[in-house]
Amino acid sequence: MFVARSIAADHKDLIHDVSYDFHGRRMATCSSDQSVKVWDKSESGDWHCTASWKTHSGSVWRVTWAHPEFGQVLASCSFDRTAAVWEEIVGESNDKQRGLSHWIKRTTLVDSRTSVTDVKFAPKHMGLMLTTCSADGVVRIYEAPDVMNLSQWSLQHEISCKLSCSCISWNPSSSRAHPSMFAVGSDDSNVAYGGKVQIYEYNENTRKYGKVETLMTVTDAVHDIAFAPNLGRSFHVLAIATKDVRIFKLAPMRKESSSTGPSKFEVQIVAQFDHHNSQVWRVSWNITSTLLASSGDDGCVRLWKANYMDNWKCTGILRGDGSPLSASSGQPISTMVGSSLLSQNALNGMSAGRYFFPPLDAPRAGSRFGHLLPPSSLIEHCDAEPVSQPQQQSLPHRHSSRALLSLAEAEEQ
Amino acid sequence: MSGSKPDILWSPHHPDRYVICDSELGLYRIGPIGSAEAKPGSLPLSEETAATLLAINSDTPYMKCVAWYPKQEPECLLAVGQANGRVVLTSLGQSHTSTCKELVGKEFVPKHARQCNTLAWNPVDSNLLAAGLDKHRADFSVLIWDISSKLAAESSAAAEKIRLPPTDVDSGSTVTKPLYEIGQNDACLSLCWLLRDPKLLLAGMHRNLAIFDLRNTSQKTFVNTKAIQGVTVDPHFHDRVASFFEGQVAIWDLRKFEKPVLTLTEQPKPLTKVAWCPTRTGLLATLTRDSNIIRLYDMQHTPTPIGDETEPTIIERSVKPCESQIGSFAWHPSSQNRMVVVSAANRVMTDFTVFERISLAWSSTTSLMWACGRHLYDCVEEAVEGAVEKDIATKMRERAQSRYGHDTLQVWRNHLLAGGSDPQLKSLCAEDLELKLPGNKQSLVYSGIKNIVKSSSGTTESRRCWIGSDRQTDVPRYHSEERSLALRLCGWVSRGSDIDVETFLRSLEQEQEWERAAAIALFNLDIRRAIQILNKGAMTDRGDLNLNVVAMALSGYTDEKSSLWREMCSSLRLQLKNPYLCIMFAFLTSEPGAYDGVLYESSVAVRDRVAFACMFLSDAQLPRYIEKLTGEMKDAGNLEGILLTGLTKDGVDLMESYVDITGDVQTASFCMLKGSPGEVLKDPRVQCWIENYRNLLDAWRFWHKRAEFDILRGKLDPSSKPLAQVFVSCNFCGKSISYSGSALPHQGRGFSQYGVSGSPTKSKVTSCPGCRKPLPRCALCLMNMGTPVSNCPGTGKSEEKADLTRENKLAKFNNWFTWCHNCRHGGHAGHMLSWFRDHTECPVSACTCKCMQLDTTGNLVPSDSS
Repeated sequence: MFVARSIAADHKDLIHDVSYDFHGRRMATCSSDQSVKVWDKSESGDWHCTASWKTHSGSVWRVTWAHPEFGQVLASCSFDRTAAVWEEIVGESNDKQRGLSHWIKRTTLVDSRTSVTDVKFAPKHMGLMLTTCSADGVVRIYEAPDVMNLSQWSLQHEISCKLSCSCISWNPSSSRAHPSMFAVGSDDSNVAYGGKVQIYEYNENTRKYGKVETLMTVTDAVHDIAFAPNLGRSFHVLAIATKDVRIFKLAPMRKESSSTGPSKFEVQIVAQFDHHNSQVWRVSWNITSTLLASSGDDGCVRLWKANYMDNWKCTGILRGDGSPLSASSGQPISTMVGSSLLSQNALNGMSAGRYFFPPLDAPRAGSRFGHLLPPSSLIEHCDAEPVSQPQQQSLPHRHSSRALLSLAEAEEQ
Repeated sequence: MSGSKPDILWSPHHPDRYVICDSELGLYRIGPIGSAEAKPGSLPLSEETAATLLAINSDTPYMKCVAWYPKQEPECLLAVGQANGRVVLTSLGQSHTSTCKELVGKEFVPKHARQCNTLAWNPVDSNLLAAGLDKHRADFSVLIWDISSKLAAESSAAAEKIRLPPTDVDSGSTVTKPLYEIGQNDACLSLCWLLRDPKLLLAGMHRNLAIFDLRNTSQKTFVNTKAIQGVTVDPHFHDRVASFFEGQVAIWDLRKFEKPVLTLTEQPKPLTKVAWCPTRTGLLATLTRDSNIIRLYDMQHTPTPIGDETEPTIIERSVKPCESQIGSFAWHPSSQNRMVVVSAANRVMTDFTVFERISLAWSSTTSLMWACGRHLYDCVEEAVEGAVEKDIATKMRERAQSRYGHDTLQVWRNHLLAGGSDPQLKSLCAEDLELKLPGNKQSLVYSGIKNIVKSSSGTTESRRCWIGSDRQTDVPRYHSEERSLALRLCGWVSRGSDIDVETFLRSLEQEQEWERAAAIALFNLDIRRAIQILNKGAMTDRGDLNLNVVAMALSGYTDEKSSLWREMCSSLRLQLKNPYLCIMFAFLTSEPGAYDGVLYESSVAVRDRVAFACMFLSDAQLPRYIEKLTGEMKDAGNLEGILLTGLTKDGVDLMESYVDITGDVQTASFCMLKGSPGEVLKDPRVQCWIENYRNLLDAWRFWHKRAEFDILRGKLDPSSKPLAQVFVSCNFCGKSISYSGSALPHQGRGFSQYGVSGSPTKSKVTSCPGCRKPLPRCALCLMNMGTPVSNCPGTGKSEEKADLTRENKLAKFNNWFTWCHNCRHGGHAGHMLSWFRDHTECPVSACTCKCMQLDTTGNLVPSDSS
């Protein structure tokens, strides 16, 4: 069971991304207010904002941490068409005691001509590498050849994906059996353009990234994508946020050691959930990739878990504002159909007076509003719902007395 | 308002009131559902809110459009535009101020009757009310009325009526002379006042959008377009305007009015309403006819005008507030992203909040953080008793805390350390115990039963009597050295050459596993003992009395092929819930050599089935069965199968499917470490699990546990030992100052990088062992450094540590010498620590290095330290 509590974020506009560091003791948030905030967790478990600074001249879409092995390093990307790398430095005296830290910009990556939509560090065994993807459909891979000097980044690869990119995810597997691999998602909503998730793999021979797979079944806009922490498994798992939540399993087919071509995968969809009943915005795996969290336009965060049979099930729903969702359902309630309608019926038999619901016929029947009144078939339908009857029946009395009194008074004057 | 569908208006001043207008006006108050429960008249709008009908007004028939007076007083004053072009002021409030009475009932009548399409109050000069009417060839279509203009020159009849006492409101006071008349010979479909200058009125005319300036009504700026319906100004960007035509929305920038800055993707059905969110920048909600979704366009990130050629980013979203078709919606004026939706039919209302796109992230310790709007939510898993099974991440953390896997002497205890609830782990740990026992056959044992029985030779067959009866059985039993070794591994017989299962039966009795004990006794052809066990089981406190019945049935055993007993047992046994009871009868009723009922009963522990197979299957059958079972176990990733595969490549295969299913690299790592002398450890998969497990421990800041794991690993797998990390070389001779540095590298010690080992007998510890020159001085005490570590015990053995008090250990540590990698100043560890408790800068004069703050990770506290 999960319990949520609110933290005063103090961002002046929407928060677009939250990111934990490797140890889960620090957190970074970025927002449309063009700033990034860094949060530290105290021993008591409370989060304190220790740094907040303006990072870009546009909305900051994503923020991400490098492995602590490379120091305290953040990368951010923005609508202003840039990505930036930030490093924490030991600031002026006593900053630590006051609970503040200083971050300085180490580099700005300005290669993109359009909004940079996602930024991710490559897994640490590949060295200090940073990947960006942008709305013009280009994935760029940068490398800091000297991990001690974060101001020098060289653009190693530029991969055109042909479709506007929205998200990128590295396969975290450090196994030598798996060549380094990333997946890119596109938010292009044109179904005719085919698969919106492409998977690229590094080829040792050509020293380039080449496309090894396109998930052709994902044709709607993809908003987020996440490789599951591999944890020594023999296959890769990829979660996709599109119009629903999808989980794909990519099992590398065993290839002969002699062949050097791109890996082949057996792609299998493990789960597909439309519980959000709307667009899904984000997906995130826990550290063992046994729990998946997703968020959607229904304003809910849902948790998914697989049992031993690889059957995925929803194990929790939390409302976006942290309030518990009533047990009834995850769907927004559809309000009682016909409550006001019944009151009209009931009133027709009463001396309702001219200010209350007018009779169905009479002066207005011939007016242009006549067709507004509900068809009788609907009324019958409502009558056939005995469960909701008593409550509905009791409605008009109260109304009529209140409304009639006040308005009747007014009329007498 | 479309005329045929209901519309909603929120009160500009009361955050809890709104009006629904269809054929009449209904004023509602919205409140929490709790307080409204008592009142039966409330309509639920959502799970938390309900609406109460406050008043109904059907004074004004033929309504075409409604606009709410923007000032606080008089409250609930509405202007209603009618089908005949008249604009009537009406009220739903109970305000009795004089201004209210003056205003309510006032009518503004155009010269020529035609439909009034739209109304707009001037947001600043609230006396001005603009009305947009249909086209008339001899009249203007935009009329701006002054609602306070009773004293103005009006037609005499109208003026007289105004002076009538206000109680006679129904007869109405009529104004016929508008303040301004603009837009001749053209229809006006929508109107809005511009927020940047309240003298400017934007009108959607027949084929163009026009901006009229009241200071000079003869002039207008206009742009020809079809998108002239529903003009509305963005409350957060006063130059941004939205309008629509059929299914297409156009966004305009008034500073670049020539063409729309954007047009949004066209909808198949005509739009009915477009509205900017008042509480959030750049959120536009649109509604099409006959639809139950509201489409949202998030364009907050496109500051207008687009200075350069930046493509604006628009995020299109859709929300479904209710199941029925939506008639209209209205944003709440102050509540964040909230709206009320009314259905097209039946006036069903829904209170609905549009959530922002939520971004989320898991931390390494299984807490979830998400951001919704401007707020952050931290979500942690709270243990609930009897809840669903814990996630493996949580389990592994707990097991690591309880030192799971570290008890190498009593391997079986690891099962308890793991929480003691997983039968597979229990089997694995118990099996490991057995591995230790037959010391001389270690290599054979690690290879698993599958390989043991493969090389079976010299099998003898024997037929024995049922113990305690002289009846000869026709059940052949097989014996060989390999088989008895396998039986030992299965735990049926203990060490030694005797094949007596009595000790095992006793231990089972102690654990109250009656059925299992009885079955094993029976398989050893001791029916009497089996019955005795069952009786014992039935007599215990929580014992099942049915066991007596089973015992009774058992006692009636007969080997008569066609007896009633046989017939009934073989059919009724399937109804027995306990698998062991079931296989007992399966055994008794089967033909010799055809024990499928026993061998393929999957709820019986693998070790028991294997032991059974080793006793009763022939040399031809046994390897086949074991092979098949191994395959099954491998596919299922069942750890019980490790018994069969041993720690061989097969075992790694099995463990791989176990890891694939569970992600439990912890168990996989510890288990595979046991097979360390073998080849399995070199398997890349095994190395990968170990690396992943170490990485997990690091991410959880279980650094001590990681270090302990490394120590254990170093013991079992010497190839994994790391080299010494740091050598300190003498300033003068350049040799390592470590006394025995090359001979004895540090062995996986947590702090070894700062420790220098050496033997004090050779020379003074404060001098270089090579050239005998003194070592550098401590920056604080200014003494030469040196660390007598010869009597510092090894860190691996806890028994040796026991005699050292904590202070003692710390004192040793204080003697170590340490330095800052940045400024290269240093001294005794204890001195440095105490200095940095009060200072941030280096103790060496004129050095401003903030040595202690340089490393953020260094300041993190391991979460598993005691």
